[in-house]
Amino acid sequence: MSAARPTDIACQEVVDLLTDFLEGALDRKTRTRLEQHLVLCPGCTEYLRQLRLTIGATRRLSEAEIPEQVKEQLLDVFRHWHRGVE
Amino acid sequence: MQAAWKFLAPGQVAPFGGVRWPVPDRGAPAPWFRPPMGEVFACRVADLPWWLDAELWEVELEGPVSTLESQLVAPAGRLLRRVAAWDTSALHDYGAACARRARELAVQVLLEEGRAAEAELLANPTGLLEMARVARTLSADASVRRGANLAGYVAESATRAAQGAGAAAANIAANAAVIGRRQPSAFDLEREWQARWLAQRVGLPQH
Repeated sequence: MSAARPTDIACQEVVDLLTDFLEGALDRKTRTRLEQHLVLCPGCTEYLRQLRLTIGATRRLSEAEIPEQVKEQLLDVFRHWHRGVE
Repeated sequence: MQAAWKFLAPGQVAPFGGVRWPVPDRGAPAPWFRPPMGEVFACRVADLPWWLDAELWEVELEGPVSTLESQLVAPAGRLLRRVAAWDTSALHDYGAACARRARELAVQVLLEEGRAAEAELLANPTGLLEMARVARTLSADASVRRGANLAGYVAESATRAAQGAGAAAANIAANAAVIGRRQPSAFDLEREWQARWLAQRVGLPQH
């Protein structure tokens, strides 16, 4: 039901824009369109809320809180990932 | 200084920035609020349908105020008073009023298409859910053409209104107006009608 007005924005586009939105990197027109979409769309509003919670939680993490074994496992996964191997 | 209106989430929280606005104390205006992002946004009456939220406040804006397409922006603002008449009941009634307007338009189009029986069916329901049910049935009938398309919008608008999603119900009704009246400007005209409805319901000056 969101196609009749050219300024409307789709949920998929919102997902793509939310990181820039949270970083204040969107131009005013795009930010306004995104915010107007959020007023109408509880799904995207919830997604934004969860994104904010995740960012807040990761900000509270410090390196010292990661057990050495988990750290090694993560680094191993990232090393293989960069080589294109799962 | 410019008076304007501001929708906030419950607890006087800015809906997108997540920051809590300071509140008035014993009838005195709240302290000036200068958010970390550097700008405050507020509404003229005409902007209200775009920004619905749980609380509606009268605000005063300070500094150079810019008028954008659907909002005002200024360096600072402060809350003056909460508009008590804006509550869940008003939101529900607003969504219902918008859905009923979409229904009126659909009935008119069905009559123009010579579908008097379908028009009468759609005109009869008094409850939102029954309106949605009838409209959904009509929308499945491809033989009623533009009227069927509009009935789909009525079904969706009435459903959202019944769920308390007044902003969505209103947006769908404005999109329905474009189809029903076959004019792109019908969207903005519908938004103007919605703004007048809101202002009248909660007692805002309409200028």
